[in-house]
Amino acid sequence: MRGKVWKFGDDIDTDQIYPGAYLTVTDEDEMAKYAMTGVEGRENFADVVSKGDIIVAGKNFGCGSSREHAPMAIKKLGIACVIAKSFARIFYRNAINIGLPVIELKETDEINEGDELEVDVHEGVIKNLTTGKVYKAMPMGELERKIMEAGGLIEYLRGENEG
Amino acid sequence: MLVNSTVIQKIMGEKVGRKVEVGEKILLPLDLVVMRDFGGPNVIKKYVEKFGEERPLDARKIAFTFDLHLPARQIKEAENQKACREFAKKYGIKVFDVNNGIGQHTLLENGMIKPGSVVIGTDSHMNLLGAANSFSTGVGTTDIVAGMRFGKTWFKVPETIKINVEGGLSKGVYAKDLILHIVKTLGSDGAAYKAVEFYGDIIEKMNLAARITMASMVTEMDGKISFFPMNDAAKEELRKYVSFDKVYNADGDAEYAEEYTIETPSSPQIACPHSPDNVKSIEEVEGVEINQAFIGSCTNGRLEDLREAAKILKGRKIKEGFRLIITPATINVAREAEERGYIKIFLEAGAIVTNPSCALCTIGHPGVLATGDATLSTSNRNFPGKIGKGSIYLCSPAVAAYSAIKGKIADPREVL
Ligand code: SF4
Repeated sequence: MRGKVWKFGDDIDTDQIYPGAYLTVTDEDEMAKYAMTGVEGRENFADVVSKGDIIVAGKNFGCGSSREHAPMAIKKLGIACVIAKSFARIFYRNAINIGLPVIELKETDEINEGDELEVDVHEGVIKNLTTGKVYKAMPMGELERKIMEAGGLIEYLRGENEG
Repeated sequence: MLVNSTVIQKIMGEKVGRKVEVGEKILLPLDLVVMRDFGGPNVIKKYVEKFGEERPLDARKIAFTFDLHLPARQIKEAENQKACREFAKKYGIKVFDVNNGIGQHTLLENGMIKPGSVVIGTDSHMNLLGAANSFSTGVGTTDIVAGMRFGKTWFKVPETIKINVEGGLSKGVYAKDLILHIVKTLGSDGAAYKAVEFYGDIIEKMNLAARITMASMVTEMDGKISFFPMNDAAKEELRKYVSFDKVYNADGDAEYAEEYTIETPSSPQIACPHSPDNVKSIEEVEGVEINQAFIGSCTNGRLEDLREAAKILKGRKIKEGFRLIITPATINVAREAEERGYIKIFLEAGAIVTNPSCALCTIGHPGVLATGDATLSTSNRNFPGKIGKGSIYLCSPAVAAYSAIKGKIADPREVL
């Protein structure tokens, strides 16, 4: 996948990713409108991103309360994947479970807003087409890959069940 | 088959019938899927959305444990609990209703947890059931929904940290003080993604209540689960609740990511506002004025905890204008506390004794704090806003009880 980078800092919590005020929203497509709008200066995030764009962040992305709205809003907005130095455990798990690709990469400081990335989620290879640098993150495990390809945990297990 | 394995590798390996390697992602069959009155309604909604009228795989492996709003105070809470009850009835799922108490403890006392059980639930402190040699963990809605319908979900086999505890616990110093000291030493992310195994003479001797206290605070180091040596005494204590053949101990040649040796603290420990790892010895905070104390929660709400509080409160009165709230973890604990005379002691001392629940662990319970208030709490978290405007100090039941008499943070060793 290829996409343009939107850059975020450290410790972006789930309240910034998906503000508590919209927790009553149940329509997943509507959730997309509020993705990342709790981050200062990103109040209009949903209007400026394009499908296939990539979020790059610092450490501990998705910390705080374990709301599944957070990865869902990002996914429904059309963000292709999230790359961060590290993820909060529950966010990481929720992201896989709903089929949003997430990659841990130590060197996210070297990636800037607006850079163009080419990402191989399965192999964990990230090419920064703007700077020419290539990074190797942990490749995705086989099981996560299957869950991701099925579109999420429920879809994967359903497929497994039906043989 | 399962050689050089840590406890978590053994439990997971047993489930899939082969040795599992650290870092591997595996699908595990689940023994129990649990929802609370908070969290349960979201699960039901998503379940119906995804599966409509399809039945859960095995209703006997699902349970609702109401433990937050007992009984409901607001119409919304009542509606949520009602929705859970109706869903449960439709599929024959067990509901531990509002007259039971804290979910994990209730499950344990009702024989639903045994060594090797793999359990997921909607509370972040599910992992205290590691004290019962089970792998239990808090997860999100999708995992619960998937677990109900398909009876399994995925896990990463975590690395394990080995903590060797050296030294004993002197009078007035408890498992709570030890775990606060350990949280301080390792920090709030000191066990991130990892399992923890505790060892040492003092650990070997710990009863189930003390092990639960320790295990419930492993979450505060971002740990996944913790385990204790399953010796004869531990087995015997568990057998009061459930029968089982097998227990899971690590192999002598198991591999650990990190190993720590930790000396027991020599005095009571207090986690100061606003983080569980901001821990000080009582000597440093003695005398700090407080208005309230809470004894209870999944960390310190067992009979042994109430007994320590009763020892101190017996024949004494709490300070005028002070609020001491005491909540037994479960209905069984409450009944025994009543039989042994603890409840009478509490009431005579001027405490408020409430029905079993999670109580003042969260803001959803009477007793919230006004601006500038300070409380001592035997719970596990003291984040800002957790129970209102004021600040929270975490401590053992003995410190909470004695401080209630003094109206300020006070050292219970003065009267023990
Ligand atoms: S007492 Fe608090 S941490 Fe423990 S189970 Fe209840 S809400 Fe969770």
